[in-house]
Amino acid sequence: MLKTKTRGAFGFQVGIALFLFVALLIIVIPFWRVIMTAFVPLDIYTNRGVPFLLSPGDWSGEAFKQLMTHSQFPRALWNSVVITVLGVAISMTLTIPLAYGLSTRDMPGRKLIMAFVLFTYLFSPGLIPVYLLITGMKLTNNYLAIILPPAVSVYNTLIMTSFFEELPVELKEAARLDGANEFQVLRNVILPLSKPILLTIGLFYAVYFWNQFFTPILYLNKNELLPLPVLLRNILISSSLNEYVEYNAFSTSAVESLKAAGVLITMIPMLLVYPWIQRYFTKGTLVGGVKE
Amino acid sequence: MKNLKWIIVSILVATLILSACATKTDTPAVEEPEEPGEADVPEPEEEEVPAEPVTITLWAQATVTESGPPPNDWIAYDIIREDLGIELEYTIIPPAGDGETKLNAAAAANDLPDLFQITSTTNGRDNLYAYYELGLIAPVDDMFAMMPVRTETHYNNQILIDMVTFDSQVYGLTEPPIIPKREGFVIRQDWLDALDLEVPTTPEELLEVAIAFKTQDPDGNGQDDTYGIGAFIEGPGLGRRFNFVFGAYGVLDLWNFIDADSFGLNVRDPQYYEAMQMMIQLIDAGVIDPDWPTLSKDEFRARWKQGRFGIMWEDFAALTNKSNYAPFDENFPEGSWTPLAAPVGPEGEAYYGLYEGNFQIFAVSQRAVDEGKKEAIARLLEWIATDGYYLLGFGEEGVNFNLDDDGFLTLDGIDPEQAYNAPERQPYTQLRNQLVFYNTLAEISARYPNYTTEVSGKLMTPIETYLSFFQAQDWVEGFAKKLIQPPDNAADFERFYNEGLLQFVLGQKELTPETWAEYLDGLDNQGAEAYEAAATQVLQDAGMLP
Repeated sequence: MLKTKTRGAFGFQVGIALFLFVALLIIVIPFWRVIMTAFVPLDIYTNRGVPFLLSPGDWSGEAFKQLMTHSQFPRALWNSVVITVLGVAISMTLTIPLAYGLSTRDMPGRKLIMAFVLFTYLFSPGLIPVYLLITGMKLTNNYLAIILPPAVSVYNTLIMTSFFEELPVELKEAARLDGANEFQVLRNVILPLSKPILLTIGLFYAVYFWNQFFTPILYLNKNELLPLPVLLRNILISSSLNEYVEYNAFSTSAVESLKAAGVLITMIPMLLVYPWIQRYFTKGTLVGGVKE
Repeated sequence: MKNLKWIIVSILVATLILSACATKTDTPAVEEPEEPGEADVPEPEEEEVPAEPVTITLWAQATVTESGPPPNDWIAYDIIREDLGIELEYTIIPPAGDGETKLNAAAAANDLPDLFQITSTTNGRDNLYAYYELGLIAPVDDMFAMMPVRTETHYNNQILIDMVTFDSQVYGLTEPPIIPKREGFVIRQDWLDALDLEVPTTPEELLEVAIAFKTQDPDGNGQDDTYGIGAFIEGPGLGRRFNFVFGAYGVLDLWNFIDADSFGLNVRDPQYYEAMQMMIQLIDAGVIDPDWPTLSKDEFRARWKQGRFGIMWEDFAALTNKSNYAPFDENFPEGSWTPLAAPVGPEGEAYYGLYEGNFQIFAVSQRAVDEGKKEAIARLLEWIATDGYYLLGFGEEGVNFNLDDDGFLTLDGIDPEQAYNAPERQPYTQLRNQLVFYNTLAEISARYPNYTTEVSGKLMTPIETYLSFFQAQDWVEGFAKKLIQPPDNAADFERFYNEGLLQFVLGQKELTPETWAEYLDGLDNQGAEAYEAAATQVLQDAGMLP
């Protein structure tokens, strides 16, 4: 009986492992293909297409070189950094007090404010009203048009609220007894204990702002203000490049390589950030999300 | 130490806030609208430049999307300001869906720019019509007199003008299609020579040549690794890569634009059945690269560079540009492609292809007209077609190009990095395909110059050898196709239409008069008759059908 059970458990484990392995392949193979496409040299691409594995001597960084030496690249990168840093700063500045307020159970009007917050989560105003609002506020050609509308994410606020609610109330009360006002409680008691959630939500916001391409297209008419994803996307959508680039301006790399390199370039900053805060990441989301 | 950290972070954030909130302050004030009488004077050379520049906002797509916009110190901005009295604010808008969304959002807010390129994922003319119905765009009829040269060079196609005419007024500026009729048939001349074959002139002869290419080792490598014909599916049905068959039977593409009296779906024409029989003969003979139903464009192109087949339909620039031709030249230094005329069918028909003409439409916003900017917009457009033509199309003469005695562009004596065709110079000519070029020989020659291949030392003459030949063939005018709305069940209809044809030619369904009739009945069940009726009505309304 025990043997059968052990065998069954083993089979189950093998099944799970196989399933996960297949899932891994499903994720890894396209990603690997993107990497190979980004690094394949033009002559191999034009003659053989994208191989599954390149020989060590065949790897070419030409597509990356071509993109990163693009005249617009430094400015677009800087614009993205500005939007991301500023977006995270503003979003965190607004989200933290809101979440703290909503986590304070005896705050007057808490339920009403929560209802307002949830209302915006359930009912989106749509593109045109937001566009009218932004243009009415004269925010076109201004990064605030990109940053302000999504500055407070309800989802992130709720996660942070849950996290704050989990913190011992006694700590806050002790601080208040010592004469601290609410700002001091938040600044000196709550925030030092909330590193995991701050980093997690900060990362959520950072990824969101880093990947912004649609709202910049809508609201930024000055080309020098456009962020990196827009520049890279301009390259991605040029699928007919072979036919219409008359001057062989981009002859050192295959179009597909440029596209793949663009994808990798956009991913790299976030890939670098993830491992750094990974240890806080699980804690941040789980502690805030699980009720005892 | 901790405070210092906070101070640094605060300074950084403050810097970013200031950076983010910064807006340009160098935009001059908008000039007062001019007197209406002045705007009506069609004498551009005698116009007075306003004391203060008129700001014109222009939204247009880029010619080379990934090359970025011209810099703020672009000399053209200064010239336009000083000579025309116009402060030009040029914004590059993304193509297709994103550009359409941007325009629609601006339209919904009555915030359309003064002059803008209609951007659409389906049919620009429909978007133009929608803006017209909303009263967001202005008629431009009176602008033609204000820009006589440009009207002569750019707005000379009455069919295009009719397509943007609503209620007897023209609402769109239709820019000439860039390099029309640029695709065509080519055949490996070295293979013909090796096998001592003549250039085929009928579908039957083409079949014989293709069989020889498949079976007689035309590349002489001792391997059975060649096919007669290469293709992939591009366009409705079996796609335009098989124009050499369908053109010979007078049934090119989806609609019959050859005979206005019998307008309708081509599949109803008895000759379509014969064309399908010819297609099946080609496939049964095994002369078409068998992967054609699933090949992508890139894969197709990789294969002709590898010498996989000897007959194909290809874009002249894709065939001849250095980056594409170099691998072929390296693989086959003795190889060459010769343009091929359309095979002549049993009834003497030899149509080359359907010319749909991907023209661009620009519109002037009603708001711009209300602000009195119409005359300034006309002045700008006329300048682009005259004094500004070379500057916006190629750069500065003597710096980026020179003109030879015949008026052709040359790079003799020009620093290669400053040459008009250098990658670094592309941002300065982003408007060239949108508002500047109108297909003069000098212009096309400059864009696709002759060159010598690196490996074989062959002189490539893209215009002379290929484009001129393709353009001289008998093309079917198909501009009207853009007016036809897809049916409500477009996806289902297209799937049935395309898959049905594919099943016949791949042998999954036998082609007989009975099965063909069943196929046509099936199309009718998908709403083909209603589709045809609607298409006929829209073309009649536009005056394109009797």
